[in-house]
Amino acid sequence: MHLLALDTATEQVSVAIGRDGAVLGAVQLAGGRRHAEQLAPAIEYLLRETGVHQDQFAAIAVGRGPGLFTGLRVGVTTAKVMAQALRIPVVAIPTLDLVAYPLRHTSRLIVAVLDARRKEVFHAGYHAVPGGVQRAWDYTVATPAELVAELETFTGGILLAGDGVARFRDEFAALEHAERAGAEHSTPNVAALVELASARMEREEFEQPWDVHPLYLRQSDAEIEWDRRGL
Amino acid sequence: MTCTLATSSPEQTRAFAQQLGALLQPGDVIVLAGEMGAGKTAFTKGVALALGIDEPVASPTFTIVREYQARIPLVHVDVYRLDHVQELHDLGLDDLLGEEAVTVVEWGDKVSAALPGDRLDIRIEFGEGDDDRVFTIDCAGASWVARRDAIVAIAASATSAVEG
Repeated sequence: MHLLALDTATEQVSVAIGRDGAVLGAVQLAGGRRHAEQLAPAIEYLLRETGVHQDQFAAIAVGRGPGLFTGLRVGVTTAKVMAQALRIPVVAIPTLDLVAYPLRHTSRLIVAVLDARRKEVFHAGYHAVPGGVQRAWDYTVATPAELVAELETFTGGILLAGDGVARFRDEFAALEHAERAGAEHSTPNVAALVELASARMEREEFEQPWDVHPLYLRQSDAEIEWDRRGL
Repeated sequence: MTCTLATSSPEQTRAFAQQLGALLQPGDVIVLAGEMGAGKTAFTKGVALALGIDEPVASPTFTIVREYQARIPLVHVDVYRLDHVQELHDLGLDDLLGEEAVTVVEWGDKVSAALPGDRLDIRIEFGEGDDDRVFTIDCAGASWVARRDAIVAIAASATSAVEG
């Protein structure tokens, strides 16, 4: 079973083509904030170099955030449009899970932390369970200080991962019982996306393209209240 | 903590903004509240001068966002023509509020929930005379607490400053 996996919720553009849960080919482009320009050419490149035809895809896997609006929308929209055109389902996986999952062989509390800009982070905590990770709290947007205060009450060992940790290293340095995971764990892992999405496909846990929504965490649906406009 | 000061001409407003602008750091967000003609753009012009921007700064009411390159770049936003908070995100607000630039948001009080909590809130109100303006500055934002004394000093140096 082939699938196309993509995540654009951070500054990074990640694309992979997977087969039966393993990566056939992957492209990762860091930090350019050029998601819209880079994503489609990266998909084309992978199709060409892996020799996979898009008709072979059983699903499109996408990181659904939380993440930065601009990038996140490019990935989620591309996934929805391709899935609709190819008449296949979407498997949407929260982007923080893609940071935590590769660290599943630790007994410590895993905390995935992504830079949310505005001096805030997106975060979630995870415990390793057989075959994966289980989330310890809901996906949250908060200041680094708020997260550090939460984690200070936790007495066990902590493993911090994600680009938010390096971005706010001074704040997280206050946590004595926490260690930073290596640089390879600073971005969402597209191989984890392939693996997690393939497992979901086997359990038939997928969504129709029109049912897929990005996870923004920040208020976006409110109307702006103008009292004197239209005069 | 808030402090207030009064100016009596657009030139004074600009001079005050220029002094305040000298305190700015990359990543800062300033939210400007005030009616049409209160002097939000005049204030931003002063900030731009302090950041070393030599091109003319115009109101971004119709373009919504204008960006200026300088030692510290300036992102000048006016949300007056927007109806939904979502439009702010459609403009790529997250990207605009980068680490490198100072962001000034006119009418930002109308979308405050969508803006960072760490910010400087400035309300501009009309005074008695045609050119009189009263500025109320709220430096509650975390990174502004350290700059509070400097802001109070700037406000106090203006002749009619009143600390509240």
